[in-house]
Amino acid sequence: MGQAAWLSKLLRKIRWEMDTFSWSQLIIVLASFTAFLIVPLGLVVVRSFYSSSGGFSFYWLQTILTDPFYFPLRLKLLNQFPFISLEGIRGSLYEVVKYQTAAGEETIVLLTGWDMGVIPNSLVVATFTTLFSTVLGFTLAFVFAKYRFPGSEVLRIVSLIPLLSTPFVGAIGLKKMIVADGVLNVLFYDMLHLLPFKIEITGLPAVILVQTLLFYPIVMLNSYTALISVDPTLEEQAINMGASGFRLFRTVTLPLATPGVEAGALLVFILSLEDLGTPIVFKGTTAEKVLTFQIFNRIFTPAGLISQEATTLAMILLVISGLVFVGVRRYVSLKKYAMLSKGGTWRPRRRKLSPAITLLVYIFILGVLFFATLPHIGVALLAFAKQWGPTLLPSSFTLDNFAAVLSDEEASRCIMNSLIYSTIATLFMIVLGVSAAYLVSRKKSLPGIEALDLLVTIPIAVPGIAVATGLFLTYLGTPLSPTISGAPLLIASYTVRKIPFTVRAVFSGLEQTDKTLDEVAWTVGASRTRTFFSIVMPMILLNVLAGGMLSFIYSMSEVSTGIVVGDANHRDAPMTWKMYDMLFHGLAGGTFQPAALGFLLMTLQFIFIVGANLLLRKRATALIGV
Amino acid sequence: MVSIRTVNLTKVFGEVVAVDHVSLEIKHGEFFTLLGPSGCGKTTFLRTIAGLELADEGSIYFDDQDITDMPAHLRGTGMVFQNYALWPHMNVFDNIAYGLKIRKVPKEEIRRRVKEVLKLVKLEGMENRTPHQLSGGQQQRVALARALVINPRVLLFDEPLSNLDAKLRIEMRAELRRLQRELGITAIYVTHDQEEAMSISDRIAVMNKGRIMQVGTPKEIYKNPRNEFVARFIGQGTFIPGEVVSSGEELEVRLESGKVVKAVPSHPDVRLEVGDKTLIMIRPESFTLEPGKRYNEFEVEVYHISFLGDSQMLQASNEVENFIIEVDPDLDINVGQKLKVYAPPRHTLAVKL
Repeated sequence: MGQAAWLSKLLRKIRWEMDTFSWSQLIIVLASFTAFLIVPLGLVVVRSFYSSSGGFSFYWLQTILTDPFYFPLRLKLLNQFPFISLEGIRGSLYEVVKYQTAAGEETIVLLTGWDMGVIPNSLVVATFTTLFSTVLGFTLAFVFAKYRFPGSEVLRIVSLIPLLSTPFVGAIGLKKMIVADGVLNVLFYDMLHLLPFKIEITGLPAVILVQTLLFYPIVMLNSYTALISVDPTLEEQAINMGASGFRLFRTVTLPLATPGVEAGALLVFILSLEDLGTPIVFKGTTAEKVLTFQIFNRIFTPAGLISQEATTLAMILLVISGLVFVGVRRYVSLKKYAMLSKGGTWRPRRRKLSPAITLLVYIFILGVLFFATLPHIGVALLAFAKQWGPTLLPSSFTLDNFAAVLSDEEASRCIMNSLIYSTIATLFMIVLGVSAAYLVSRKKSLPGIEALDLLVTIPIAVPGIAVATGLFLTYLGTPLSPTISGAPLLIASYTVRKIPFTVRAVFSGLEQTDKTLDEVAWTVGASRTRTFFSIVMPMILLNVLAGGMLSFIYSMSEVSTGIVVGDANHRDAPMTWKMYDMLFHGLAGGTFQPAALGFLLMTLQFIFIVGANLLLRKRATALIGV
Repeated sequence: MVSIRTVNLTKVFGEVVAVDHVSLEIKHGEFFTLLGPSGCGKTTFLRTIAGLELADEGSIYFDDQDITDMPAHLRGTGMVFQNYALWPHMNVFDNIAYGLKIRKVPKEEIRRRVKEVLKLVKLEGMENRTPHQLSGGQQQRVALARALVINPRVLLFDEPLSNLDAKLRIEMRAELRRLQRELGITAIYVTHDQEEAMSISDRIAVMNKGRIMQVGTPKEIYKNPRNEFVARFIGQGTFIPGEVVSSGEELEVRLESGKVVKAVPSHPDVRLEVGDKTLIMIRPESFTLEPGKRYNEFEVEVYHISFLGDSQMLQASNEVENFIIEVDPDLDINVGQKLKVYAPPRHTLAVKL
């Protein structure tokens, strides 16, 4: 076929599939994402290769990669075995500190972790968080999916609790637990005498701990869905052929569940890499030495411009998460396990356990749940605490923290700001998300439509601080500048970053409504536009609502852009910035008032997530997973 | 009421040619059926006529109007889908009235026309039911009413009865035909069920792998199959391969057993020359147990008998070939019995391979 014929055929196809309405849907989605995601991220990349005079240069990349602060690791060749050594690692895993108290000598083991420089630290933290989350999440999922024991359904739901808060809030709560005179030491050292010494977890290990406790449910959800979707006859077949026990697990169950586990692990890796909230809470320790914090810390030059150093760091962060995303996506999609996509209509095989094993399972699950709920219990207790010294519980409780927060003019303005921005962003997300999901679901035959799907899903893998940097680079000094008003960029950032939740919910709704329902409307004379509004929209309304609720609540709890914009313009700052501001610049109240704000956010998050899941009932598992 | 014409209509999905240069003419008010095995492209053809798929090549005409690139909603077709496709968020009235509201028909008239059409499909008084309160048969009637109420130029049926149970299917079949005849609307019907196709259609197009194998009345297709596919797909028969040894008005065909039989070409268009490979087909009811003048004679042994009430079907063989023979239900025949059966040359059809 000639090129001209091919082109005219393509044009005819496009003219056929796309009417004015579809074009407007496509254009608003592409325009918004171009303006507020593609161009900003492009600028991050381009600007990081600018020299100070404006030309192309590797200066900043080279400066950063040779700066021992960012990348101290050097390989050194040796004359003897093992012939090679890695140098530049500072610190040690732990330090032992002894000091005198009235009661005598006390020993504290400080878990500080090694410092390998900012870039390796980020990767190491993400790697360990992913590893721990995966082991924890998969084990839990396996136990819940494969064994029957009383209360398993309740315990399974309780173990999803960490999904209800962001690392930023969770970290505030957990910090109170793991410091030297924190709750865990009070409990296990002072009261129960189970520990021979006090343990303080700080710096990077603390970041890993917080992230693991908050992110394992993501792996768990994905693994659980994958495990119960495996056709039990496949396992039965293997048993028939003589496989059992660990061999069955290794050769059949695990490979079939792998894509689900990998998807969860991938998301955790990227969420860990882009988490800014936790390092901020542990400010003042080695937790500062990760990419997100460093970008945040030096984004503005003293002249109020965006620093090249931060831009280049954002580029590095972006490239790392991009590579991880692309690599794992390709690897996962290479293996197609058709039975996974269908979901289970069968009854999963569940084994009953002997009483002794059941007891062990309970001990394991309750142990995990004890630690997993600590951050949330911590926030709640701090929020209601009047005084809280080195004791198990606050010495007295009060509502004053909430009263203080709500009567603080700036704090209540920030709460209002967050509510307004998130509401407006949610409206945008619904319009854009429904448009994108509709095009992707209903115009599958159109060439290039997969790219649109990727465009509206990928923000989940883009670090927020990189988006924030890009938005500043693009819009500082324009009418949308955050120095004029914080609203436009915050709304834009929420919209592009949190839209995947709406898109996913709406898309799953569209996939569940038969396309013939649209088609029959066309045959009786309804145009595509009319069909969209009178047939399609009413049928997916619940999905739109649930997706919108999730997008709204994840906008409320957004940290990266919020804090950066808030720093540039206090008047238009959102709630998360106020928490940060109170945590470090607050005059009174210490962590109690930020915890009160965090508790409000957590409560809101709880209501919305549970609400959205109730709306969608069983379909919900797909919403939070990748 | 329109006539429909397609010229070289072609639709390709990736590597698969679903509809392959199909040229058909469907007359005013005709009930036309596309019959073929699943995956033969019949539904794709129908969807292309409805405007739900864009043809890759060729054209479609309603009367003399080229509608190949016209969007579905402007074509004025009424379509009934296999899964009924009733909108779950609307009751029966709203489902049916939807097309009228789009046409801005006055409210009073909408009410009247919906009532009329509900009477036509025998669902009076069901206006306020929601789709999930209806049985399969009732849902199908609502879907039909929704297609009829807009006075479509063409009625399109995509296996509309395949989700109904056998008894209801036969009732609805007659119902559909009655309605179509009364309203005089040109109809295209898609099915894989040959009995359904035979009983309902004015003409049938047999399709296989995207191509039209034969177009004709049910009788023509049964009595004069044009090729092996149609011969084997429609009805039952005894099939014996052979080679033409003498041609002319009447053929002589040597079977693999060496026996020579007299036969006629299966279809007036079929030309067979000496030396051509052919397939002899004899319908079960063409066999007799009485020898006739110049009849072909076969000696067979019965190995299975199906008693069907109005007839009995014998399955028999002569060690080389298998036979299906219909005999009088009163005849006393046992498995293992040897029989001589006869077939007149005019019912011994030579199918072109």
